[in-house]
Parts: sequence; C-alpha cells; structure tokens
Amino acid sequence: MHSLRRLFLFIISSLILLALSLKVEELRVYQGAQIAIYALGISSIVLLTGYSGQVSLGNGAFMAIGAYSAALTQIHWHLPLFVTFIVGTFSAALAGAILGGGAARLSGPYLAGATLALAVGLPTLANQFTIFNGETGLDYTAGTPPTWFGESFTLYKWFFWIALINVMLMMFFLRNITSSRYGRTWKALRGNPVAAQLSGIQVGGSKVLAFTISAGVAGLAGTLLGMIGFVGPTGFGLGLSFALVTGAVLSGVTSLAGSMLGAVVLVAIPELASVVAHRLGDTERVTSNLPGLIMSTLLILTVLFTPNGPAEQIRKHKARKQ
Amino acid sequence: MIGSKRKGLGVITTAAIATSALLISAIPAHAEVGVSSSEIKLGITVPQTGPAATGYNKVAPAMKAYFAYVNANGGVNGRKINLIIKDDKYIPQEAINMTNELILKDKVMAIVGALGTANNLAVASKVQIASRGVPSLFVNTGYSGFADKKKFPTTFALFPSYAMEAKAIAAYLKENLPTAKTCVLLQNDDFGADAAAGFKTGGVTFTETVKYVSGTQSSATGQTWIGKFATAKCEVVVLFGVGTANAIALGVAAAGGYKPQWILGSVGSDVTTIKATLNNPQATALMNGAIGASWAPDSADLTDEYAKQFREINTTYNAGAVFDNNVMVGMSEGLLIVQALRAAGTNPTRKSLIAAIEKKGSTFASAGYSALGYSATSHVGQTGFWFGKYNLAGELKSVDGKYTMYTTDSAAGPVVKTEQKRLPMPAKGLPSN
Repeated sequence: MHSLRRLFLFIISSLILLALSLKVEELRVYQGAQIAIYALGISSIVLLTGYSGQVSLGNGAFMAIGAYSAALTQIHWHLPLFVTFIVGTFSAALAGAILGGGAARLSGPYLAGATLALAVGLPTLANQFTIFNGETGLDYTAGTPPTWFGESFTLYKWFFWIALINVMLMMFFLRNITSSRYGRTWKALRGNPVAAQLSGIQVGGSKVLAFTISAGVAGLAGTLLGMIGFVGPTGFGLGLSFALVTGAVLSGVTSLAGSMLGAVVLVAIPELASVVAHRLGDTERVTSNLPGLIMSTLLILTVLFTPNGPAEQIRKHKARKQ
Repeated sequence: MIGSKRKGLGVITTAAIATSALLISAIPAHAEVGVSSSEIKLGITVPQTGPAATGYNKVAPAMKAYFAYVNANGGVNGRKINLIIKDDKYIPQEAINMTNELILKDKVMAIVGALGTANNLAVASKVQIASRGVPSLFVNTGYSGFADKKKFPTTFALFPSYAMEAKAIAAYLKENLPTAKTCVLLQNDDFGADAAAGFKTGGVTFTETVKYVSGTQSSATGQTWIGKFATAKCEVVVLFGVGTANAIALGVAAAGGYKPQWILGSVGSDVTTIKATLNNPQATALMNGAIGASWAPDSADLTDEYAKQFREINTTYNAGAVFDNNVMVGMSEGLLIVQALRAAGTNPTRKSLIAAIEKKGSTFASAGYSALGYSATSHVGQTGFWFGKYNLAGELKSVDGKYTMYTTDSAAGPVVKTEQKRLPMPAKGLPSN
C-alpha cells in the first residue's frame, strides 16, 4: 500500500474513532482506551514474534519500565505529559536494547525463560527502592480535559483521545517499518536464520533492533496504561505479560491489524465472565476461575482451528475462493 | 378551511401541554443518580477472592445483611438499600475497573466502605470520584491522607488513622514498658509509612525495625523476621502488619520458642485471619497474653450493646457467617451509612449526603469508643484506641474493666487519655435520627 494512502487511512479511521467516542457511554470510552492500549501491547509481541521470530514472555516488564519512567519524570521533574510519553517509550527501548544484546544469543525456550524471569523479577523491584513507592505505586496523571472542550467532554474521553492518538501514531510507524526493508529482514530471519545470514543479513544486529523497537512499543503501551490506570507492581505483574501473549495468539501472531481483535477479547472477557458468573450464582469458585477458563478455552480453540489467527484465516479463505 | 387548521393546531397544542404535564409530574422532585422512589443504590469494592480475601470477604456481606435488616424494617424513608458488591481482589487496577462499573454502569449513588489504601488512592486519582461528586463513605483503611479534605473532598474516614494508632501505642509503651528493648514489624507501603511516622512523632526508638513487602509474607520470610528480632534480643515486639503477616510471625516465633511481649496492631489482630493463615483453629492461643489496641469493642464482648445487637442481626440476616470483628466492621459501617442517608433528607442527593455528614456526622451513633470527628472542616471519624490483653480464645479483654481511650490526631498533636464515651445503640439497631 502506498504510504500516503496508508497515512490517509490511519487519519480517517482515527477521526472516526474519536468522533464515535463522543457518542457512546463513558464506561465504553474507558474500555475503548484499554482496548487501544492492549492492542499496542499485543503489537509489540507481534513485531517481535510474528516478524523477527523471537519469543518474549516479558513484555509486561517493558510496559512497567515505560510507565514508571514516565511517572517518575512527571512527579520529580514536572515534565509535560507528551514528554513523559517519549521518556517512557525510550526508557523501555533502552532496556530492550540492553536485554536484546543478551537475547540475540538465545533462542526458543531459553529466550522465553530469560524474558519470563524479567517479567517475574522486575515488578518486585518496586518494593525494594523507596522511589517507586512500594505497593501503593506512583500517581501518574493526565490531568483533566481542557475547559475549552466543554463540560460534556468527560475525563475518560480525554483519556481515550490521548491514548488513541498515541496508539495510532505508533501503529502507523509499526505498519511502515514492517513493510520496509527492516520488516523484510526480520521475516527472513524468522523463516530461516541461516539462509538470512548467507544472504548478508546481520542476524545479531537485526534481532537486537527488533527487540529494542518491540520494547519501546511496549513502553509506550505501559505509559498509556499507567495514565488511565495504576502504576504499581500489581499493575504490571506476570498476568499482564501472559495476557499480551494470549492476545497475540488469539489475534494471529503475524497480524498487526489482528492485534485489535486480541485486545477486544482481553477487555471483554472479564465483563462476559462477570455476567455468566452472576447467572451461576456469584460463588467464589466460579467468579475467580471463570475468566481464566474462558481465556484458556479460547486459546486452545484458536491454536487448534485458526493457528494464525482469525484474520489470517479469513484472508486465506477469501484467497481460496478467488 | 382556516378554521379547521386552527382547530387542528389547538388539538396538537393541548395534547402537547397535556403530555408535558404528564411527563413533568412523572419526574420525582429530586432525581439523583442511584436514588429512585423505592430504592437507594450503593456500591462497595472489597477483595472477595484472592490472597487478601480471608477475613476481608466478610465485611461486605455483613453490611448487606445489616441493610437487609433495615429494609425489612421499612428501609430509609421508605426506600430499600441495594448494596452492589464488587470483587477487586485487593488489586488497585481492579478497584479502578470495579468502581467504574459501579459509577458508570450500575449508577450507584455512593461508594461505601471501599477497602485498601492503595486501592482508594488509585480510585481517587484515576476515577476522580471527587470531581464527579460521588461520595466515598467510611473508607475501610486507616491511611491518614484521606483526612485531607482538600484532596479528597467527598471521602470520609471511619477508622482512626495508622499514625494515630502508632502514636497511641508509643504513649502506651512509654507509660507501661519504658525500659524494654522494643522492636517493630511494619509493611513496606503507605500503611507502614503512616505508622512509622506516628511512632516517630510518638518518640519511640526501636532496637530493630523489620519491613516486609506486602504479599511476600510466608513461613520463610517469617523465619527471617523472627531471626532478626531474636538476634536483637527484643523484649517487646509490636506487630503492625496485616493479619496474615502477624499470624506468620506469631506461628514462627512459637515454633522457635521465642516469647517476647507481643503488641498487636488493630489491623492485623483479626482472629478469623490468624486462624485461617495458620490453618489451625487453636491458633488464637498464640495471641494469649499479647497486648492489643482497638478502637471498638471486641466482637466477642457479650456485654456490649452494639456487639450484641449486631450479633442478633447476623444470626437472622447473614446466614452461616461466624460473628467476628470483620462482621462487626461491616455492620458498624452500615449503621453509619443509614444514619447519613436519613440525615440527608427525604430525597437524598449526593450533595446533601456529604453536607449531612459534615453537619450532623458527629452526632451519629457508632460502635467505636471515641467521639466521631466529622465537621465542615474534618472528614476524620474515630480518633482513639484502648488497650487490653488477648485471652486464649483470641478475645481482647480490658485488664481493669475500664476502656481508657488514647485519643490523638495524625499530626503532632498530643495523646490525651479519656474514659470511653459514645452514644447508645439506637433502639433495635434501627436509626431514627
């Protein structure tokens, strides 16, 4: 797709979504912001796994780095919000570059193990240094919407607009980079690293670059998640990393566009589970286990029937028809 | 022709006026979110599942049971109270999500008894309940920051703060155990920081201070804490952790034969939690002889009129639940909420509810032994603690039959000793204010 046409499409779809937010209930607007942010988080995994063939179970940790960096710079240096987004993105990218150096030497389960250790270990650091304020976390805020937006422009519309604009900008960047020579290099790496090396591709450097960009994307997602939610150890636990991987599998690991589907599922499942649990009598056993059960079932069904995600399945089906 | 047009217009106008009049008459005089002619909708976020649920999961059902009792006796000015309980798993992000559902989907009039310092802080910041004008009544935390009316204008505290408790314990230590080598166990968050500030203001110097990370309490970490206390030869140990942490400390110390004079903070002395954590119904024996601080009577005190009335309500309306301090807290909060709603007028609004507590809150009947401090300038509830000793059953008993209150503030104010003074329980536990 021509990049100008792509830009036009991104702008139009962003404008439609922004306009839609003015028409729906505030709770749905908040969930919309969550979906946009999760979609970005899932995209960071799609980029890393679907394109460069590296496995990460620890992108939640990069999200934490982004959120904490942004919050600390806002609290201590009083930087403007958009600058904190940049700080969050680049801090996580830096951490990704450092980890990527080591990760380039690992592959498969070893890399998964290393990133898993990061996801488990990093949030606990928040309890070791007073600057992170332990379990209470940090108060990172987007403030209130400017008064000239009018009274009907509520807090969550403000959150949604900020989140969506950032997510769409980053998605546009991702879409472009994956269709550039870097994207083709990563695909070659994923397909056959030896053949890629024989073709003159720098395997190590390319892997580190993918890891760095993926971490930066996750960092921005974490920063935005912290803006609308909680910046603390429980906000970026192992569950978040696993949820992102699950979302990536559900949406098809190779599809950036499909990440939206995975994000919708992640946000919808708790609400769906709550409705079902209520019908079943709200017993503790049901309410605490049902979301996990639904998620696991979906995951198994996806792997069995649409291993490349529903979006890819539909595309193949259409291609077969033609 | 012209005449028939005019006639038609007249019919339309009359119909429009009649419809408008009908519609206007159908709208209640005071339409407030969560308040209908037959119901008042309230919401609470508490851990009903997850590691922190033990004990805490009894608070909301107890409050609901008390409301069921009030509803069965006519409700609040003819309206039934409908309490919607949401499980936040003690996770701040979940508290944000659940509060969003309560306010935006269930459309409750007010949040009541929301539990946890971090959760309430996260909700205040991200849901911005204050700017939405949503009252958050009688939060279930002792974090002193919630007394800041400028920062939390719609939030009301009930418990005395952790800082107040620490100052009271400091005063008690100076008075009763002035020369003992004293040590303390604190949680490494705002709960612990609030207490640490109170101990500092109270002038206590600890030989050993052990801080644990919330959620990491286990037998293994307990061994480390007790090891440190034993090495420092602590004669008095203040356990100012949550129930699970205090239980582990008591269990590990007993197993190792370490027997200091324990002082248990009010947060972590719940018998149900201690028994469940150690998985031992006889675990209360470990509390025997420990000194305890409390702002209200012990739930096992059969001579207390509040505990007695709540116990009766619990038997009928909270089927199967063992009556303990968690149930007592839930019902005490319920009692205050009903009085606040009644004081807010026959057609209560969010604004009138807040104004009513500020104006009349200090006259509400409460199970706590110190006077309520609500006023136009203060959202602080209880302000004092009494000290007693735990017996084998884990019941806190006054040593001399008296309830001397150590009353103070969360800042640098002095600790004042007074005899307990409170309003009597409303007849049959049903407010008539």
